Amino acid sequence: MSSIVYVHTGGVNNPERSATPIYLATTAAAMDIEVGIYFTVNGPTLLKKGVAETLIVPKYDGNGAPLRRFIDQALDMGVKFYVCQPSLDLHGLTKDDLIDGVEMIGGAAFNDMALEADQVICF
Amino acid sequence: MADAPTHDHVLDAKGLLCPMPIVKLAKFMKTVEPAQVVLLEATDPGAVPDVAAWSKNTRNPVIHQDQIDKVMRFWIQKA
Repeated sequence: MSSIVYVHTGGVNNPERSATPIYLATTAAAMDIEVGIYFTVNGPTLLKKGVAETLIVPKYDGNGAPLRRFIDQALDMGVKFYVCQPSLDLHGLTKDDLIDGVEMIGGAAFNDMALEADQVICF
Repeated sequence: MADAPTHDHVLDAKGLLCPMPIVKLAKFMKTVEPAQVVLLEATDPGAVPDVAAWSKNTRNPVIHQDQIDKVMRFWIQKA
């Protein structure tokens, strides 16, 4: 099976950058590609409990949808979500502050995941 | 153009935009028996390359396709 790792660095301050890696990953899962998203730098701020429900992914006509919808689609399709400790520390977050379904990994595990994946795509 | 093949199921993805037609298709195909044919109807402008890419990666062949006005139709056989 092919595999892709998406690296998501966008956070709550850039709503327009928040959803794209997530729905590309959802699409990959729909294509039977093994897929994970590594949330780092500002990415973990999107995973704080309660945030994605109110963060609106903007649309030109003002009818944006909450990010939570895209997160739920991704998790439902089997996309794996990963965060690393230092990027949580950057924002004063702990694993307990995050939504369910997020796995904690370290830098070594991420590098190994990148080497094992067929493609790594960074946002 | 050859006549459209017979189909076992119709999947209406009209009005849905990327990535939802592919997500809906992927979920539905998991419920279909091998060799059955699903007729997918979509209006997403990206549907033609997207369905081709999905088909190539999941190895469920598109055995026929056409377009009527803005509706793209794909006959997809479960591998």
